[in-house]
Amino acid sequence: MRPDVSRLRLVGELALREFAHERVMSACFVLSLSAVLLPLLVLFGLKFGIIGNLLEPIKEDPRYRQILPAGSGSYGPDWFEAMAARPDVAFIVPRTRSIAATMRLRAVDSDAGRIISVELIPSATGDPALVGLDPPRSYDTIALSLDAADKLGVSRGDAVEGILSRTLGGEQQTVLVPLTVDAVAPAAAFSRDGMFVSHELLMAVEDFRDGRADGPLGWSGAAAAEGPRYFAGFRLYARSIDDVAALREGMMNQGIDVRSRVADIELVQTLDRNLSVVFWIIAGIAAVGYGLAFGSSVWANVDRKRLELSVLRLTGFRTRAIVWFPIVQAVLTGLLGWLLAALVFFLVQAGLNVLFADTVGGGESVCRLLPAHFILALVLTLAAASIAAALGGRKLAMLEPSLALREA
Amino acid sequence: MIASGAKIAFIGESGSGKSTLLELLAMILRPDSSTRFTFRPRSQDDASDVSAAWRTGDVDLLADLRSRHIGYVLQHGGLLPYLSVRDNINLPRRLVHGPVDDVAPHWAARLRIEAQLEKRPAELSIGQRQRVAIARALAHDPTVLIADEPTAAIDPVNAERIMELMVGLVDELGVTLVIASHAHDLMRNAGLRMIDLNIETSDRNTMHATVSHAA
Repeated sequence: MRPDVSRLRLVGELALREFAHERVMSACFVLSLSAVLLPLLVLFGLKFGIIGNLLEPIKEDPRYRQILPAGSGSYGPDWFEAMAARPDVAFIVPRTRSIAATMRLRAVDSDAGRIISVELIPSATGDPALVGLDPPRSYDTIALSLDAADKLGVSRGDAVEGILSRTLGGEQQTVLVPLTVDAVAPAAAFSRDGMFVSHELLMAVEDFRDGRADGPLGWSGAAAAEGPRYFAGFRLYARSIDDVAALREGMMNQGIDVRSRVADIELVQTLDRNLSVVFWIIAGIAAVGYGLAFGSSVWANVDRKRLELSVLRLTGFRTRAIVWFPIVQAVLTGLLGWLLAALVFFLVQAGLNVLFADTVGGGESVCRLLPAHFILALVLTLAAASIAAALGGRKLAMLEPSLALREA
Repeated sequence: MIASGAKIAFIGESGSGKSTLLELLAMILRPDSSTRFTFRPRSQDDASDVSAAWRTGDVDLLADLRSRHIGYVLQHGGLLPYLSVRDNINLPRRLVHGPVDDVAPHWAARLRIEAQLEKRPAELSIGQRQRVAIARALAHDPTVLIADEPTAAIDPVNAERIMELMVGLVDELGVTLVIASHAHDLMRNAGLRMIDLNIETSDRNTMHATVSHAA
């Protein structure tokens, strides 16, 4: 006796040929499947597209991941080490008192001689605000905010001069700090007059203001304080926007009052969740409805074809092999229905994107799906079709072939 | 007992239980009870215990016996409408032997339906369909050919020709032939052994068949 495989292949071939022979009926099944699947694809595409468009800028803009202390605190090296080690922290640098973190600045080669006051922003390698730009190094290179660079009339590679003043022992003292502009940060990185500086330069400026000496720059003053250094604040970025809420919560629990854009993030995430719930409710109703419709049509089809199926059993096909007959047809129906729905989806998608081209920015899609979504839709469709067909097959297995043959 | 190579006709009016008997013989209908039913396709084969297979639910064994040893002709052909004549004839052979040579032209020639090979059953006359059905029933070299009213729907002249062809083929191939029919004369003229079939329904809603030799 031939192995079962070859008999199954024969049943599969017969199922396919019958499917092709009854092409009108088959086309109806395929169309009805597409009619259910297509709106679901479009609905999910819209949800995914709209939420994507809302989330995209939030994900792209590092400011949404930033967490800043609301007031002044005292953070030691242990605290910074512990925070930096957290997996949900992407970047953290200490920040000095804001009163000490300013500097006057002028362009060296400019005739205008304009002097502006800039805020010092501590930075380091991996600063999310300076993606793709050179981070400031040591005491002599900086990155300027766009505003500050415009006002000074300088660009990358230009020399600028920092001016620091203090009153020490009743005496007014001023030092000049020669600096090179290594990068100009985009407007989104810092919206006021600012200067990204290295940790070393930031500490030196604070030391100077506090009247302490700083070796490398040759500034005079009192000896540096003994013991670990404490900072008034920090600049912190979460790994992703999904980490912001938990990080913020943790810091609040430590008694640190922080500012973040968590409310903006949660707004979109809540919208996403709510739309997802609506989508899955609709999808669930559609799936149950379609499952019943498809199941009953497979059932009716088995009934309608009981003579032909009984002839196969009379010919000597085993019952177990014949059960594959409706399953093969259901899987083919599912595959074709999915293919049709996907093709029409692309047309609908193109139409919607043209229709809403004004509402969304250029290049953005109001309705879109990832390949993974199509595959998921296919898997769910085939699973539902197979279950319906298996029920039809069960009916088939229980069918008494001789009764059907009498009707011949 | 039906001997190998025998040609038997069960004669009876409709409702006499002919189809039931043929379906029992074809091992497609489960008997309510049976004391002994064995099937020995050829003298050199072991006998298969059909009663036991029904009792134990070994329907795969029965399906395999059917596919190898039995050809079945239904009153209306029972051809698959989605297959051509060629594929209908080759189907039982493919079930038994897997991918096979195309034997359809040979059988079509024997049954004089060469011109119909590529047609679908729906395009054929009833007589042509019965010829295809006979070709299909013989194409996998069965040992038993069972036919249920194979000529009932055909005009008498054609019916006689088809019977002649069928009997000629089973004689040549040494196939056992079992036919159910109400056409007494047609069967006798074809040289079949006649068995009358009568069924009485008893009070307790069970049927009792009487089989007797016809005159």
